[in-house]
Amino acid sequence: MSFFGFDTSLPKDRGHNPKAPGFSLAPDPFAGLSSRTGGGEKEVLDFEDTYDGLGDQLDETGDAFNDDTFGEEPVGKDFDFSGQTSKISGTMQEEQAFFDARQPPPKMSPQKLAAKPVRSGYEGYKQADYIPSLEVNASLWGMPSKAKSPDLSASHRQQSSGPSVQIGRKMMSLEEVEAAMRSQSQKPAAVQQSAAQHLPPPSQPISQAFPQGLSLPGYPTFSAPSPQVDTTQQRASGGPQMLQRPTKASDQQVLPHNGAQGVQAQTPQILQRPSQSQAQPPTLTPGPQASSNRASPQSIQILQNPNRVPGPAAVQPPQVAEGVGGMAPTGPTHGRGLSGQVPIVTRPEQLLGLSEDERAAFLLEDARRAKRNHKIYLLSKDNGLMTPQDKNFITRIQLQQLVTATGNVIDEHGPEAALNEDFYYQVHAQIRGPPRQNPHQPLSQFAQTYLFQTGGRPGNANRRHPRGGENHVQRMEQQVQRAVEAAKLKPKNKQLVIEGSLGKISFSNAKTPKPLLNIKRPESRDLRSQSGTHVPTRSNDSVATRRQTLKDIERLYMTLMAMEDHERRMPPPPNEETPADLIQEHIEWRQKMQELNQSLWNDLKVMEPIDPNSPIGHPFMAILSLPKGKKVIPRVFRHIDDQQRITILTMICLYLDQLDVVRLAAPADPNDTTATLPPPAVRDSVELFSQAVMPSLFGYVNDAPLQIVVGLLGLLLDRVNTALILRTKVGLAILTMLVSRAELIKQATSAQSTQGINEREWQQWNALYNQLFDKAEPVLPYIFPPSTNHPSDADDVHVWQFLAAMAVGANEDQQRRLVVAVKDCVNDTVEQSKALPPEIAGRRLGNVNLFMRAIGLDVDLLQR
Amino acid sequence: MADADNDAAPTVQEPLDLVRLSLDEIVFVKLRGDRELKGRLHAYDSHCNLVLGDVEETIYTYDEDEEEEQQDVRIMKKQSEMLFVRGDSVVLISPQPSS
Amino acid sequence: MENGAADAKDPSGFLSEILGAPVTVKLNSGVVYKGELQSVDGYMNIALEDTKEYVDGKLRRNYGDAFVRGNNGNIPISSSL
Repeated sequence: MSFFGFDTSLPKDRGHNPKAPGFSLAPDPFAGLSSRTGGGEKEVLDFEDTYDGLGDQLDETGDAFNDDTFGEEPVGKDFDFSGQTSKISGTMQEEQAFFDARQPPPKMSPQKLAAKPVRSGYEGYKQADYIPSLEVNASLWGMPSKAKSPDLSASHRQQSSGPSVQIGRKMMSLEEVEAAMRSQSQKPAAVQQSAAQHLPPPSQPISQAFPQGLSLPGYPTFSAPSPQVDTTQQRASGGPQMLQRPTKASDQQVLPHNGAQGVQAQTPQILQRPSQSQAQPPTLTPGPQASSNRASPQSIQILQNPNRVPGPAAVQPPQVAEGVGGMAPTGPTHGRGLSGQVPIVTRPEQLLGLSEDERAAFLLEDARRAKRNHKIYLLSKDNGLMTPQDKNFITRIQLQQLVTATGNVIDEHGPEAALNEDFYYQVHAQIRGPPRQNPHQPLSQFAQTYLFQTGGRPGNANRRHPRGGENHVQRMEQQVQRAVEAAKLKPKNKQLVIEGSLGKISFSNAKTPKPLLNIKRPESRDLRSQSGTHVPTRSNDSVATRRQTLKDIERLYMTLMAMEDHERRMPPPPNEETPADLIQEHIEWRQKMQELNQSLWNDLKVMEPIDPNSPIGHPFMAILSLPKGKKVIPRVFRHIDDQQRITILTMICLYLDQLDVVRLAAPADPNDTTATLPPPAVRDSVELFSQAVMPSLFGYVNDAPLQIVVGLLGLLLDRVNTALILRTKVGLAILTMLVSRAELIKQATSAQSTQGINEREWQQWNALYNQLFDKAEPVLPYIFPPSTNHPSDADDVHVWQFLAAMAVGANEDQQRRLVVAVKDCVNDTVEQSKALPPEIAGRRLGNVNLFMRAIGLDVDLLQR
Repeated sequence: MADADNDAAPTVQEPLDLVRLSLDEIVFVKLRGDRELKGRLHAYDSHCNLVLGDVEETIYTYDEDEEEEQQDVRIMKKQSEMLFVRGDSVVLISPQPSS
Repeated sequence: MENGAADAKDPSGFLSEILGAPVTVKLNSGVVYKGELQSVDGYMNIALEDTKEYVDGKLRRNYGDAFVRGNNGNIPISSSL
């Protein structure tokens, strides 16, 4: 089995060299121990036990950077393990032998003996910024490898010859081994050793941490030494950490190599780091591990992350500065930025065999790696600031807040209802999709999102530790579930009432303030019957009727709003392909709409009989008499059919003189011919009516047939004091509306030369027109608003409009009479206009011209 | 109009219904601190927060003389086009017959 | 009030009983309103009808309807039944 091209016969056949832990660095901290105790047995390590899944992790997360790492050339299959490597095997052996020779025997070190119970090979991790070194100084790379080799050994020797007991190299964890192997997957590992032992310049002691979680282990970053560790130790811990592959890949045993084989010289590490071992937190003392050469994955985790439980650690993002908790209050200090110069492990021997081009390519690759390392270093700056427990703790606090925030206000609508008013939640929900449909889903988008983010990065989960961090996520989910369930069990009532007491426990929020009293709300009917004797004899009837009208209007608005709301919920109109249930839905919708229309109609009280005793007459007129009653008309007209519209119009015509805008605007004494201006409030009312109600009426009349116009005018002339309404703006407007509509119909029908069709209607119309003309003629001089005396703000356009409408339909005699009746007004206006600014004068004359042109004249004729 | 009372529609079942009826009407509002408002009620809520339009605010200030009987009442009037009144200062709301 | 005794122990019952009755509402400020009780709610808002406002015992104003805001913490009611 010489898969890697090593000489497989040597180390193993000669027995386990206790000083040479070799490949299995993770368990091997105890190699020395075992040899001292005469154990010497080969410890059987189950690969599955020691393998922590880092490789899988790498597969999942690191792919994105594979190109960075390995270059973009396809990886060939021509791994030359036996060829190139064998060429330098001699050198390697030399190195190894040399190294072994200068290492003091492990057992002779008192420090080592003292430290052995806790010596695990992971001591370095308790240092704040400990980073196992896997590579040599980058500067070595730029130089010819030939020249470098002696330097390496020289410096190595130099250091080793010092107080070598204090100097040591870090044992490598299995992950590190894996990482190293990975990073070197194309290269024989055996060539790494001597270079790896090179130390940085003494003036720059470094400790290195192995970025476990990152996808490119083996490219660690440098970091500043932890202040509390003395320089020597620093140097020691900063020693090269490059790992050796096992001489036999298939051999899962811990195989410390015989030093004579020259492959590795890791053993001294154990000896040289006693003080660090002692410094390890007692709680982390790996007792069981100390007594066993086997290192389970868990123990590895513990040791590497002394403050962490195995699970979370497994899913934790990379923690470059391991074990900060308690050990390094100063925190990681990665200030040195050495990573930029860090290439991968030097393998000068291998480079020997490369062509210039290959070398260049290789160096380029290394530069990339260096860049990548720097990136990792930058990213890892804040690693380890919080332990997984810290994060989980915070997560739990935040979740708790979420749960309480949503759970506490749970009422009959459930937790989602509370979120419904949260704009940001709504947006979030829109983005993230619909809210949960069943309780088995996570609490809400909040929790879901949050848990998703804390559950470890996607793909970062360690397959070997499925219960790790995900466990926390699950636990929290369960907690959330429980919290929600508990919240659901809370009393649904908004208040807890103790029978017969004034006080009660109530739950209030901004929308519904906390009531102080529990008032039994009697049914309105009960109230009426019960308090019938108390019903106050209303001292003020107008107040009572006014309030009644206000109630009517409120009811009307309620229905109207329900209708408008219902309208918004209209299902799509059905067609042939609409499924039956949708059709059914539509039918129900229309049915409901019909009901609402009916109640709206009832609320309008159009059809209610007039109460002869009521001071305000017809209730519908009462509704129209209030501003909000006027304002409601356009909205109502949208929801009623033509039959209802004509009914309303009929009612208005019928009771026009009861309408406040007519009644209050008309002169109190019909015989009083002095034009008086209605009070300001009434004028406001009139204005509102003209703007709110009239357009709706116009809208209907503009489409009405002659028959209806005839009917309406007949009603007006028959039932209403025409002379009175002629002197009001609204009355004039309605008359104008009817007359002009009739003229329009007349023109339209005459254009189609179909006069004969409704001859009888036209006769009716002409009769009515004549009747109106006769009634209007005497009052024509008085229908002008008095403001004509204040020419600049004359509000007489409606009068001229009416006169124009009348003039169009008038026969010659009537036209002449019209002119005679209003001649003075025309002349007055024209005269006044001469004294007015041109703009106002033009407007006023334009108004007059409405009438003048209807009779074939123009004000210009008068002005000459 | 008797049948109107039988409907379950807005009557003065609770006091705030009275305020509701005054929507879009002129109301008189008495506030703490000897202030009175008169204006058109545009909106209100259950806290008696109010939005009033075309408001006339009347502020009474009492200059206490030494003799308590002689109190100088100064009246200040302010016009506001639109006013929001925070509910907790409201003491009384009364619909005013328009004009 | 045949069941007045039972209702007397139940403030809310009492309050619903006196709806429509002439009442006196006294505010903490000392202002007194007298009118017919239209309604009361859980916030102690009170709707009065035909209300007279007394300040220092002197009639100050008349209101057709009056809404007196509760939660001023200031409204004892006395029914003048």
